[in-house]
Amino acid sequence: MNLINDFTNPWLQWQQAAVDETLNTAQRMRLLPSLLERARQIRKGVTPSEVVHEEDRLKLIHYVSGKPPRYRTPLVFVYALVNRPYILDLKIGRSVVANFVERGFDTYLLDWGVPADADRYLTLDDYINGYMVNVMDYLCERAGMKKLNVLGYCMGGTMSAMFTALHPKRVKNLILLAAPIDFGTHDGLLNVWTQSGNFDVDKFVDAFGNCPAEFLQAAFLLLRPVQNLLQKPIDFYERMHEEKYLEDFLATEAWLQDNIPVPGEVYREFVKYLYQQNLLTNGRMPVGKRIVKLENITCPVLNLVAGEDDLVPCGQSTPFNDLVGSKDRKSLMLQGSGHIGLAIGGRAQRELWPQVCDWLAQRTN
Amino acid sequence: MDARFGRPKIRNMSDPAENFTKQSAAFQKIWLASMSKLMQAAFTFTPNSAPPELLRQIRNGMLQALAGAWDEFLRSPQFQASMKQWMEQAVAFRKMSNDFMSKARKAVQAPTSGDVDAIMLSVRHMETRILDRVEELSRQVHELQSRAGQVQTQSASPRRAQKNLRKPLRAKKRAKRS
Repeated sequence: MNLINDFTNPWLQWQQAAVDETLNTAQRMRLLPSLLERARQIRKGVTPSEVVHEEDRLKLIHYVSGKPPRYRTPLVFVYALVNRPYILDLKIGRSVVANFVERGFDTYLLDWGVPADADRYLTLDDYINGYMVNVMDYLCERAGMKKLNVLGYCMGGTMSAMFTALHPKRVKNLILLAAPIDFGTHDGLLNVWTQSGNFDVDKFVDAFGNCPAEFLQAAFLLLRPVQNLLQKPIDFYERMHEEKYLEDFLATEAWLQDNIPVPGEVYREFVKYLYQQNLLTNGRMPVGKRIVKLENITCPVLNLVAGEDDLVPCGQSTPFNDLVGSKDRKSLMLQGSGHIGLAIGGRAQRELWPQVCDWLAQRTN
Repeated sequence: MDARFGRPKIRNMSDPAENFTKQSAAFQKIWLASMSKLMQAAFTFTPNSAPPELLRQIRNGMLQALAGAWDEFLRSPQFQASMKQWMEQAVAFRKMSNDFMSKARKAVQAPTSGDVDAIMLSVRHMETRILDRVEELSRQVHELQSRAGQVQTQSASPRRAQKNLRKPLRAKKRAKRS
C-alpha cells in the first residue's frame, strides 16, 4: 500500500501543482488591466500633515497628531537630495514617521523639493549652513526650544552629521539612518565606480549641470542587476495575486521610479570630497568657509545600520561612532535588511523603530 | 582614501590572448556555479517535496550564481574601463548638443543656457558678497551689544546701591508720618 502511495503521491502533487498554477495564472491575468490604475492611485504619504514653512523649493512638513505632543523638543527628519522623502511615510504599517508621531514626538520632515536647472550652483554650504540653519531657527522659535532632535536618512544622514558638527549647540540628539560617513571602503560598487580614475565628475557636471535622475536610477539598478531586472519581475509575477504583496510592491516601486535630479555642485562636492577623497573622516571636509570636524559632535548619537545594504554598506556607516566626541553613542544593526528595508521593512517596523523611539524618549523632554 | 584599498589597476586590454583566456574562464565559472547550484537543488529533491518548490529552488540557485558573477564583473577593470569610455562619450555628446543648441539660439537672438548660467553666477557672487557683509555686520552688532551690556551692568550696580541706601531712609520717613 505504502509502495503505491510513494509511487502515486508525486504524480498527484504534480497534478495539483499544475491546477494551482493554472488558477493563479488566471487570477494574475485578471489583475493585469487594473494594475496601472492601482499604481496611479498610490498615496504619497499617509500620516496627516501640513506645510508650516517654505523657502525656495524647500518645504517643512509638520505631522499632525490628534493629541498634543508628549515631548516638547521637535524631531526633524532630514531626507537625502536623491529620491523623494515620502518613503519615510510610505503606507500604513510601513511608516517611520508614524512610529514617532504615535509615541508623542512633535515630528517634522524636511522636503528639499525638486531642483530646477537654475539650482545647479547650489552647494552643500547652501543646504547645510543656509536652508538647514533657517529651518532649525524657525523650529526652535516655533517650539520655544533651543535644541532639536535630528534624524538623517542616507545622504540626509551625512548632511545631518555635517550640520551637527558645524552647529553643535542646535542639536539635542542625532540619529543616523543608513548614512554614509567613511568613504574609504570599497565594499560598495558606488565607491568603486566613482574613483577618480574611472569617473571625471568635473567634466560630467560641467556638461550636464544637475546630475540627471535617469543617470542615478540606472546606477542604482546596476548595483544588483540580477535581483532588480530578473528576480524582482519573477517574484512579482508569482505573487501579484496576493493583495498584501501587491500593495507593498506597488508602493515601493512607485517610490523607486520617482527619482529627482541632484544639484550639480552638490553632486560634484559629494563625489569629489567624499567618494574620491574621503575628507569627512579625515576632518578636512569643507562646507563653505568652514571645515567639518566630526569630533565636534558631542550630543547623544544613535547610528542605525542595515546588515545587507548594497547602497551604503555597513562598513561605510559604522565608523561614525568612533569619530564623534559624544560619550553617549550607540549603534544598532538590523541583520538581513537592506537600505530601504531598514526604514520600511516589516522587521524594522516591529523590532527597530520601537527601540529607536525608546532611545529618543529617554533623552528628550 | 584607505591605503588598504588601492584603486584597481586597469590592465592593458590590447592583449587578445590574455583577454580571451580571462573571458572564457569567467564564462566557465558562471556555468559551473549555476550547474553546482542546480545539482544541489536536484539532490535535495524527495518524492514528497512539492514540484513547484523544486523548480523554484533550482531557479533561485541559478540566479544566485548569476548575481555573484555579475557582481564580480561590475567590479572588474574591464567593466570600469568600458564604463569610463561610455561616460566620456555621453559627456562629449552632451557638450556637442549644448553647443549646437547655443548656436541655434544665438542665431535667433534668444538667450542661451550659457547666458542664463552667467546671470546665475553673477547673482550668486553678489549674494555671497552681501551675505558675507551681513555676517560681518551681525558679528559687529553682537560685539557692540555685548559691550553695551557690560557697560550697563557696570553703571547699573552703583545706582542699585544708591537705591538700596535710600530704602531705609524712606521707611523712616513713612514711620514718622504715621
